[in-house]
Amino acid sequence: MNPKTLRTLVAVAASCAVAPIAAHAQQAAPAGSPAEGAQKVQMCQGCHGIPGWRTAFPEVYSVPKIAGQHAAYIEKALHEYKTGERSHPSMRAIAASLSDKDIANLAAYYAQSGLAATVR
Amino acid sequence: MMNARFLIPFVAAAVGIAAAPARAADVAAGAAKAKEVCAACHGLDGNSANADYPRLAGQHRDYLAKVLRDYKSGTRKNPIMGGMTAALTRDDIENVAAYYSSLPPVVTARY
Repeated sequence: MNPKTLRTLVAVAASCAVAPIAAHAQQAAPAGSPAEGAQKVQMCQGCHGIPGWRTAFPEVYSVPKIAGQHAAYIEKALHEYKTGERSHPSMRAIAASLSDKDIANLAAYYAQSGLAATVR
Repeated sequence: MMNARFLIPFVAAAVGIAAAPARAADVAAGAAKAKEVCAACHGLDGNSANADYPRLAGQHRDYLAKVLRDYKSGTRKNPIMGGMTAALTRDDIENVAAYYSSLPPVVTARY
């Protein structure tokens, strides 16, 4: 084996070993502030805060529970609504009004509200 | 006047169609299908450890079923979920949704 191939192999092996750890560390430290998110939840609670609430348009189904959901997933969902990649008339309108920071804060708030519910 | 008996099969069919969406889901069959298709990412208990994959445990059953139908039809686009739902039947979707909605949400993330 020539030295160049060996160096490539070592580099690939090293990145494989480090990548999962880096991903995990990212997951453990959410960027948003739950306290700041709490200032913005009024616009969410009308649908996501009422037990048994159902959407009326464009289809009738229960509004999803979001407390305790992974912050990363909530952030992704809000960004997808904001860009239009994911469609729902109300959610697109609401997400369009949110900054990236608002989105991170709301995601942190809802991820943590699940923790509080479990502790009780 | 139309013979009432003549209408019986049509009325029965209409009732059958109306009742179809409310048919009972099979939670055990949903568990078996979830183990096969969903558990690798979402966890068999629906409390996925990876933040990229949403927790499903205790989520509303009708919402889970709607989302799966949307992925299957392509209304909601995701390369992974599009592939996963392609092989699910309507019954599979109802069963898997019933299974995950029946599970308790457990939050294990540390902040």
